[in-house]
Amino acid sequence: MSTVEVLFWLLSCLAFASAILVVTTNHLVHAALWLVVTLGALAGCYLLLTAEFVAWVQVLIYVGAVVVLLLFALMLTRAPTAPEAATSTRNQPVAVGAAVATTAVLAVVLVDGFRGARIDVDGDPAGAADLIGDAIFRHWVLAFEVVSVVLLAALVGAIVLSRRGTDPSEGGG
Amino acid sequence: MPLLWPLLLSAALFGIGVYGVLARRNAVLALMGVELMLNAANLNLVAFDVWLRDVLVSGQVFTLFTIALAAAEIGLGLAIVLRLFRAYGHVDVDRVGGEPATVLGGVEAER
Amino acid sequence: MIGLTLTIALPLLASLVGLAAVERIQAAWVAVGGAALTWVVTAVVALPRLGEADPVSGSWGHAWGNLDAPALTFALRGDAMSAALLLLAATVALLVQIYSVAYLADDPRYRAYAMIVSLFSASMHAVVVADDLFVLLIGWELMGVCSYLLIGHYWERSDARDGAAKAFLMTRFADVGLLVAIIVLGQAVDSYRISDVLDAVAAGEIGDATTTTVALLMLLAAVGKSAQFPLHSWLPDAMPGPSPISALIHSATMVAAGVYLVARMHPLFVASETATVALGLVAVVTMLIAAAFALAQDDLKRVLAWSTVSQLAYMFAALSVGSVVAAIGHLLAHGAFKALLFLAAGSVAHAVGSTAFADMGGLRRAMPWTFATATLGFAALPGLLPLSGFFTKDAIVGAAYDATHADAPGPAPSWLAWLILGAALVTAALTAAYATRAWRLVFGGQRRGTETAHEAPALMRWPLVVLSVPTVLMGLAVVWPGWLGGAEAEPVHSWVAVSSTLILVAIVGLTWLLGRTDEHGVTIDPATRLGPVRPLLAREFGVDAAYDRLVVRPTMGASVLTLAADRDVVDAYVRGATTGALGASRLLRWAQNRNVQTYVTVAVVGFALAAVLAGVSA
Repeated sequence: MSTVEVLFWLLSCLAFASAILVVTTNHLVHAALWLVVTLGALAGCYLLLTAEFVAWVQVLIYVGAVVVLLLFALMLTRAPTAPEAATSTRNQPVAVGAAVATTAVLAVVLVDGFRGARIDVDGDPAGAADLIGDAIFRHWVLAFEVVSVVLLAALVGAIVLSRRGTDPSEGGG
Repeated sequence: MPLLWPLLLSAALFGIGVYGVLARRNAVLALMGVELMLNAANLNLVAFDVWLRDVLVSGQVFTLFTIALAAAEIGLGLAIVLRLFRAYGHVDVDRVGGEPATVLGGVEAER
Repeated sequence: MIGLTLTIALPLLASLVGLAAVERIQAAWVAVGGAALTWVVTAVVALPRLGEADPVSGSWGHAWGNLDAPALTFALRGDAMSAALLLLAATVALLVQIYSVAYLADDPRYRAYAMIVSLFSASMHAVVVADDLFVLLIGWELMGVCSYLLIGHYWERSDARDGAAKAFLMTRFADVGLLVAIIVLGQAVDSYRISDVLDAVAAGEIGDATTTTVALLMLLAAVGKSAQFPLHSWLPDAMPGPSPISALIHSATMVAAGVYLVARMHPLFVASETATVALGLVAVVTMLIAAAFALAQDDLKRVLAWSTVSQLAYMFAALSVGSVVAAIGHLLAHGAFKALLFLAAGSVAHAVGSTAFADMGGLRRAMPWTFATATLGFAALPGLLPLSGFFTKDAIVGAAYDATHADAPGPAPSWLAWLILGAALVTAALTAAYATRAWRLVFGGQRRGTETAHEAPALMRWPLVVLSVPTVLMGLAVVWPGWLGGAEAEPVHSWVAVSSTLILVAIVGLTWLLGRTDEHGVTIDPATRLGPVRPLLAREFGVDAAYDRLVVRPTMGASVLTLAADRDVVDAYVRGATTGALGASRLLRWAQNRNVQTYVTVAVVGFALAAVLAGVSA
């Protein structure tokens, strides 16, 4: 096994374990922090797969912005820092079953379809920044612009929704 | 490396994300499950793109778009969770639904 | 024909118009006026028919029915027998309606009562003038319904309710015989008209087995309606009804309908020796046991009820030996004096407040009119010369004697005729005994009860007086030759007359002596001399207890079982449907339970299933 494979294997285990902890821990804030670990491990996996640009964007945005947002939300909803007793719903057994079923279905399909394939990670990196930038601004520029509009809409919507005293039934008509 | 490894990792993460969405009582934690699912999908896309060495690099570009959309979505989702908190005083998804204690958050209901 | 229809339609109309009466006085006028009008029409229709040999018959409208069964017609027939019975029914109905106005003066349900009595009158007339067997059946059943309603008039009393139900159930059970007989006859003769049936019997077109079957079935119906053994016990238990009803229904008309049926269908019985023997045996048993029971009763109306059963048995005995004239004659005479006695009992009950002998005694001074008329009635009952009962009873005994000769023309074998003769004589003695006993206990000696008695009001007295006329004079009518349309009157056998009078006098005297007044002047009950036999008679040989054990309890058990089956088996399905629906709704509620995670769970599981199915089928 090459170095890349060993590292990938380690990072996978890390990601898997910390993902499990995200969804099972009783400490709400710890869940967010384990999420950081998971996302970081995934960034490492992207690096190993030679998708450098995606890895850095992942760290920047997911770890840097999304998790911070989640922590802010936990703070604003008065999440307790002490462990909560009941963090799982009545649904739990069914949820376990559904999750296992989904995983099984996906795994079976993937194994069945791609059993012997190998990725070549030794050649040129497949995700170098110039490569990605070239592709985006040459072939995917419309989608890129649309995404920016989407981000604007989300921004406006979030501001509107979270303003206090903006009850539409207040005031006239 | 075998293509299957990233793929299986992504399947596992997806399943864990599903469990998180279905079984977590706090709405914010459920959103964390959604993030896990999105990441699993991203990993899948990247793995295939690298394997195929796509000329258009569509897998990774799609991943970038997904990340951007995930950020937008989490912003809006958390704003909604905030509204929910203001209306009910908690974000327990098992207990929400029905008449909220305060109407549309912030305005005391006249009883 | 129109007149005959009017005899049915007028009382029916009076009954319906009575529905509209709001005040008591209006209902009284409608009832009495209707009965009076009916009486006039009946007299106009019936009197000319007496003594005529040929019947008048006709039918209204077209026949009903399909092609396979014989048609039903509304056919009526008027001959001497129907005329005589029409007159009896109409007269007694009119007198009872007049009497009831005073008897039920305080009763809140008088209006319903009057209406039902008019309806009863219509149905009795329908039975008597019917020429179509189904018209007869309809009238028969309607009479049963009216009897039930009227016996249960005082429905606050449990004995009235029970008596009404018992009467209805026992007679209804017997009426099955009539229905089956009519259907069989219809198939055999291909017509439901009585005229056609009698013609077919005369021509010998009906087979022996069919004749016997039909005759026995009709005998069953008559046994039920006329309270003969073994269906005899309902009549005394019907006495909690008002006394005018006992006079109308349970002495003069409804119970006589059984006798009328056998008399009308007499050719069937003549043609079948089995039926004749059955009829005779039933009559013999009934007349003896009923007279014996009457001797041991403590209640005046129950004595009269058992007396009615016994006298009806006399009529059946006369029919068994083949003498329709004697039977109908006794029916008319009995109708008069028994109605008189029941109305007198009502008058006494009105005065002293109950019908038990213990509350009576010494009433001859306080109630002179009632005393006089009731004495006539009590004298006519055992057949004291020269009252009506004498002639009719001796006609029956004479007919029985004539049938004992080996070559007699009648249908009864001579051993049966000897049996009937002996039973008739013994019953005559018993009748004299219980009549005297009752008369003494009510009117003789000193007053036993506490309330002061008063004479009955005028509206109650005058019917008593009117009824004493036929009680006295009816004997002349039935001796008149050819009064029942063609048949010669039975000659009065002089030895029968002499011997029966001697027996009568002897028994009356014996009973009088046995019932001497004691030192306080109170009459001793002669029945106490019966000793240990008395309780046996008072319990009526336990027949009712046997019925209860054998019939009533199993039926109640079966009904409880049916109820349980309905509740636990059939209703379980209904309840199960409810439970099922509720369970299904509880399941379906999950689709709208406001929990996002439930929806997502369903989506995920659905996706997994779809993927598996796609994979499996691919």
